[in-house]
Amino acid sequence: MLVLTRKAGEGIVIGDNITIKILEIKGNTIRVGIDAPRDNKIYRQEVYEQISKENREAAQWQLEDLDELTPSTSKEK
Amino acid sequence: METIETRFGEVTYDPDNLLHFPAGLIGFPNLHDFIVMPNKKQGPLFWIQSVDDLDLAFVLTDPTNFFLDYKVIPEESEKTLLQINREDECYALSVVTVPTDKKITLNLAAPILFSPKSNRAIQVILENSEYQAKTPLPG
Repeated sequence: MLVLTRKAGEGIVIGDNITIKILEIKGNTIRVGIDAPRDNKIYRQEVYEQISKENREAAQWQLEDLDELTPSTSKEK
Repeated sequence: METIETRFGEVTYDPDNLLHFPAGLIGFPNLHDFIVMPNKKQGPLFWIQSVDDLDLAFVLTDPTNFFLDYKVIPEESEKTLLQINREDECYALSVVTVPTDKKITLNLAAPILFSPKSNRAIQVILENSEYQAKTPLPG
């Protein structure tokens, strides 16, 4: 991992079209501004990781479980 | 037609009829093409089988079967990825987690947006919403 030291107001440029700016440092929190093309999705890391984990769990199902489930859930339609 | 050996057995599919995820799923960026598996039984659940990783398949459902007012409006950049125009239809699907105790949950926080017209789909995260990644079925 590349490690850089920045002060408030300074920034980092990644490639041709992503700019990250350190806006404010207050205690142990940092406000960051990001300029990137709109088709680059930007997520908080913990949110992204939670969804990745949920997707991994969702891939662990068994066909027998689904077969058993289907009659009961269909009633709710 | 092509035939693959999945963890659920042999599946024959039409390569022209795959559901395409241009960006993969979240955490699975390399899964681009899925077979939509026909629902053998009546009911709201169906599943998609990856052709990129034969061990991976996901159960999906139309969440409005359970949550009538659930609605996701795609952003312009998302419509571009789906290759659809303003007037084209786009549906939200939910990834279903089926644990061994069979108390299934819907991932309402990260729906799959699906366009029947382009046969493309993307998974998005609704970051500033109340929706949970593990939403139990309404009691």
